[in-house]
Amino acid sequence: MGQYLEQPLSWTNGLIFAGAAVALLGIVLFFVMYAIFFQRKILGWMQLRIGPNRVGPWGLFQTVADVFKLLLKEDIIPKKADKALFIIAPVLAFVPSFLVLAVMPFTENWHFADIGGGLLFYLAISSLTVIGVITGGWASNNKYGLIGAMRGAAQMISYEIPLVLSVVGIILMTGSLNLIDIVEKQQSMGVWFAFAQLPAFIIFIIAQLAELGRSPFDLLEAESELISGYHVEYSGFRFAFFMLTEYVYIFAMASLTTVLFLGGWSPMFGLDFIPGIIWFALKMGAIVFFIFWLHATMPRIRIDQLMKLGWKVLIPLALLNIFITAIVKTAFM
Amino acid sequence: MSGQYIAFFILSLLTISGAIFMISFNRVIHMVVALAFTFLSIAGLFILLEAEFVGLTQIMVYSGGVSVLMLFGIMLTQHSKVERSEQKPALRIFTFAGILAFFVAVFYGIQKTPWSQEAVDYSTQNNVKEIGVQLYNNYVIPFELVSVLLLVALIGGIIMAKKEADDE
Repeated sequence: MGQYLEQPLSWTNGLIFAGAAVALLGIVLFFVMYAIFFQRKILGWMQLRIGPNRVGPWGLFQTVADVFKLLLKEDIIPKKADKALFIIAPVLAFVPSFLVLAVMPFTENWHFADIGGGLLFYLAISSLTVIGVITGGWASNNKYGLIGAMRGAAQMISYEIPLVLSVVGIILMTGSLNLIDIVEKQQSMGVWFAFAQLPAFIIFIIAQLAELGRSPFDLLEAESELISGYHVEYSGFRFAFFMLTEYVYIFAMASLTTVLFLGGWSPMFGLDFIPGIIWFALKMGAIVFFIFWLHATMPRIRIDQLMKLGWKVLIPLALLNIFITAIVKTAFM
Repeated sequence: MSGQYIAFFILSLLTISGAIFMISFNRVIHMVVALAFTFLSIAGLFILLEAEFVGLTQIMVYSGGVSVLMLFGIMLTQHSKVERSEQKPALRIFTFAGILAFFVAVFYGIQKTPWSQEAVDYSTQNNVKEIGVQLYNNYVIPFELVSVLLLVALIGGIIMAKKEADDE
């Protein structure tokens, strides 16, 4: 894709851009559909159930059927809702989640934009989704929606800080914000940042779960207390958009973790003959499985515990990690 | 027509219309969303000028930080529309004169600035890196002073909030 970005815009190039984006959207939608399916299967097996098994062989078409059900449902807008914001909120939430994939390098050749501040782009754009969440929760004019949105905003804002601080160590070691440079640095060092920056990796994984709103930090949905939080009044297509946002973020976050900490597309055990994209998919799949696994294992934590963990444990640890990395870098490198 | 021109047209349209809607909307929360669009489009303009670091920081601070904070605060306030009181004609004329004077000053300033004729091309440099190098080599002391100033503001804010909480 890189060479097209440097040419002047023509109709052919514009069509190539649009086509590539649509292709990526297709891949992401396919991922989302089967991520939901595997989540339900894995949760089922972990709880000694079978999981979906009726539609298609092994229940493979269950989520396809669910998506069609959502698309065919009646579109309901509550009478007292703020109509304009109610309609725009799912879009505001979804667009950033797909936009962050623009800088994601899947392999050294399979990527879209290769900008100097790639990591910063991801972090900046992903902070926009919270606007969609807040407006959605507020516009539906429902007390549970509002409480869910408030919780969501508080949680996402607090956990963004340790998330950003934890990657500073990597930036210090690489000397670049470019995601491709970060992967290449790991290749040249011969060790993943997951080991070279172990505290950062642990902080990042925890903060990432909170950003995604996944268990044990799924407070903004909390089915049992908040009847699913900010999107309680949404149904049909608009609800599907919020669901889509959540799972596209899992795709994006798992990709980012792979790139930052697991060496991206670089092969393991010297198995060079397997193409990079397969390694990327395998590592990403492992992260996604880990997220689903936690969903089946961990109970939800309380909101005050959540805030304490974020502000009193993760942020100081992340700062300490930056400090130590800086000292090590100036002393030994 | 180059891609840059189209992007500039769309972004400037969004910037201006966001600002206008921000003034003309009746509900506070709509205003903040309009303002968020303006912030975002300004970030897009920065990126168009190859100042991607400034643009991304703009998104992070203004769209992701300031507007979310505003929304957060406003959500707790009243839901109904704000009635606009009719202003006095004298005040209107005064405001209009002020805006006109501001416009004339800015327009005159832009017209009088001696722009260099050739376009500057930064596309070959990594401007994130350049900013870092400049900031930590040539401007270390101002940078540190600003960070101390921010820290003082932060601690001051906490102390003030704590005092109010103790008084109640």
